[in-house]
Amino acid sequence: MEIPYIVKPRKDTGLINSKIAIWLFLASEVMLFGGFFSAYVYLRLGADYPWPERTLPVLPGLINTFILIGSSVTVVFAWVALKLGNWRQFQIYMGITVACAAIFMVLKGIEYNVKFHHQAARLHDYTVVEGHLGYELKDGADTHHPKDGDYVLDRNGKKIEENMIRVVAEKVTFAVKRFHAPWVSEMLAEAEHAKSEIKLAADIKMVVEEGNEPVTLAKAGEPLSLDLLGKIRKAQLAALKHNASLRTDALRLEWKEAKDANPGKKGWQLASDVNIDVGALEPRLLTEVSTVEFTVDPPTRFLFKPRDIKEGAASSTLRDNTIITGAMEASPMVFHNLDAIDFQWLVMKAKEKGISPETAIANSWLMKNSEFVREAWAWHLVRNEKKQEVLNKRYGFKEDGKTPKQTLTHKELYRLGWKDLGEMGVETKGVKIGGVAKIKEEFMGPNYKARGEKTFPHLSVPREQIRHAAKFSPAWNTYYAIYFTITGLHGLHVIGGALVLLYYLVFGRKMFLSNPEWFANRVEVGGLFWHFVDLVWIFAFPIFYLM
Amino acid sequence: MADSIEAIQKAKKTYLMVFGALLIGTVVTVLVATVPALDIGGHGFDIWDAILGLLIAATKSTLVAAIFMHLNHEKKLIYWVFFGAIFFFFAMGALFALAESSPILDTFFYK
Repeated sequence: MEIPYIVKPRKDTGLINSKIAIWLFLASEVMLFGGFFSAYVYLRLGADYPWPERTLPVLPGLINTFILIGSSVTVVFAWVALKLGNWRQFQIYMGITVACAAIFMVLKGIEYNVKFHHQAARLHDYTVVEGHLGYELKDGADTHHPKDGDYVLDRNGKKIEENMIRVVAEKVTFAVKRFHAPWVSEMLAEAEHAKSEIKLAADIKMVVEEGNEPVTLAKAGEPLSLDLLGKIRKAQLAALKHNASLRTDALRLEWKEAKDANPGKKGWQLASDVNIDVGALEPRLLTEVSTVEFTVDPPTRFLFKPRDIKEGAASSTLRDNTIITGAMEASPMVFHNLDAIDFQWLVMKAKEKGISPETAIANSWLMKNSEFVREAWAWHLVRNEKKQEVLNKRYGFKEDGKTPKQTLTHKELYRLGWKDLGEMGVETKGVKIGGVAKIKEEFMGPNYKARGEKTFPHLSVPREQIRHAAKFSPAWNTYYAIYFTITGLHGLHVIGGALVLLYYLVFGRKMFLSNPEWFANRVEVGGLFWHFVDLVWIFAFPIFYLM
Repeated sequence: MADSIEAIQKAKKTYLMVFGALLIGTVVTVLVATVPALDIGGHGFDIWDAILGLLIAATKSTLVAAIFMHLNHEKKLIYWVFFGAIFFFFAMGALFALAESSPILDTFFYK
C-alpha cells in the first residue's frame, strides 16, 4: 500500500503525515505522564506519613541523566548524518544512542534490584527500621559470618528468609468456596516431608438432591487432597445455587400474592419483615457446608509469608480464609544488617498527641531494647547539635537572640540513615572502608561486608511488634508506588524507543539506498519520540531524586 | 527545517551547544539540591528548592523541545496539538487545587 505524504509535505498542513502522527501520539503521552505526575503531587501533599524526601541515590540518577541527554544529541546527529547522506556516521551515532539506552536500563535495573532486596518494617509505635533480612541459621552457627552449611534449608533445599511466620498446625479449616489450591498443595507437601498426615476431622454428610436422604460425601479420616476439597466445593456450590433459587422463588411468590391481594395499590415500600414460609422451604433445601475441618497428625510446623497470613497466638487466618489452629512459634523478623533507624513517623504521631519527641523516642521499643540504637542515637544527638551550630552561623537568630532562624529538617533530626550509621562507624568504631567500596555504595547501597556488623548490626524484631513490613516496593508506601509507576513506565518507553531505533540501525540500509529521504523522515520521527523520553526524565530526575 | 548542507552544519553546532547547556543545567540542579552552601530559601528542601528545581527542568525541557525537536520552527498544526496537550496538563493540575480547597466538605454546601 502506498502511504501518502511520507516524503513530500501535504499542502494544507505543510507537514508530512508521519510527523503529525507522532506529535498526536506525543500529545497523548504528555497527558499520560502528566496524569502520573499530578498523582505524585497529590500523593505527596496528602501523605499522612513523613514523605521520604531526597531518599534515592543521586549518583546513578545523575549518570542516567547524562546518558539520556547524550543519547538525545546522538540521535539528532544520526538524523543529520542521514540528511548528509552519510550511512557510516549514521551507524555510529545510532549505535551510541542504542548503547546509551542499554546502559540506562542496566543502571535502572541495579537501582530496582537494590530496592527489592531492602526490607523495611514499621513497628506498632511507628518506629521504622530498615535493613537486610538474613536467612535462618542452625543453632550454634556463627551469626555474623555464616558458612554455606550453617543455613536451615526448606524441603526444596532453599534458604529460609527470617521473615516467615511459623505455626505448628493442629487443625486446618478450609473455606470451601475459596481455598487457594497452591497453598493446599504446599501444606500437603510440607506435611508429607514432615511425615505427618492431614485427615478429615468429621464425616461430610450432605443432602445433594432435593428431598433425598443425606449422602456421605467423605468419611472422617480421609486424607486431604485437592480432589476431595474440589468435590466438597462442587457440592457446596450446587447447594448454594439450588437454595438461592428456592428462596428467590419463594420471595417472588410472596410478592405476587401481595400484589394480587392489593390490586391497584401504589407506593410499595420494602418491608423489613418479609416472611417466607421457612417451614415449607426447609425440607427442600440442600445441605450447605461452608467450612471443612482437617486434623494434622502429628502437629506440623508450616511456614507462611507475612503477607499471606493474619497471625494469632493460638489460631491464624490465611488470606483465603483458611484457619490454621495451632500455636505460633516465635517468628521474629531478623535484620542481619540494620541500616536505618527512623523516628520521623513516631515523632509525627507523638506531636499529634502532644507528646514531646524526646519522650516518645525514649519510650520506643527500639530504644528500650537495643543497646546499639541507644548508642547511635546519643551520637546522633551530639552531631545534630554541631549541625545546628553551623546553621546558626549561616542564618543567625531571630530578634530575641536565642531562637535560631533555621532548624534542622525533620529528616535530619529524627532519621539515622545508612550513610549516618556509616559515618558513626568510621568516627567511633574505627571502621575503615576503601574508596572503591565507597563508590560501590553509591550504586548498591550500604556495603555490609566492608563495614561489618559494628556499623550495621543484627536486630531481631518480635513479630508482635510489627505493624507493617515490606521490601522497598510499591507495598511499602505511596512514595515507592508512584516512584515505580513513573520510572517503570518511563523505562518501558526507553525500551520501546530503543527497539525502534535499533530496528532502523539494523534493517535501515535497504531503505536508505532506495528512498533516503523517507528513511531520514522515519529516523526523525523515531528521534522525536526519543527526545520525549528524555523530556520526561528531565522532570522525573529532580522530582524523585532531589526533592 | 534545516535542509541545505550549510544550514545543517550550522545546526550541528547549535545541537552541541544545547548539549552543553543541558549538562550544565543538570549539574546545577544537583548542586543546588545537595550542597548546603547553595541551598536557597530556608535550610533543607522547601518550596523555593522545588521552584528552582522545576524551573531548571523546565528550561532544560524547553531547550530539548525547541532545538532537538525543532519546535522553534514548526508548523502551526503541531503547536496546536502539543501545546493543547500541555494546556490540558496544567488544567489537570488545577483540578488538584480544587481538591485542596475541598468544596465538598465546605459547610456552605450543607446549608
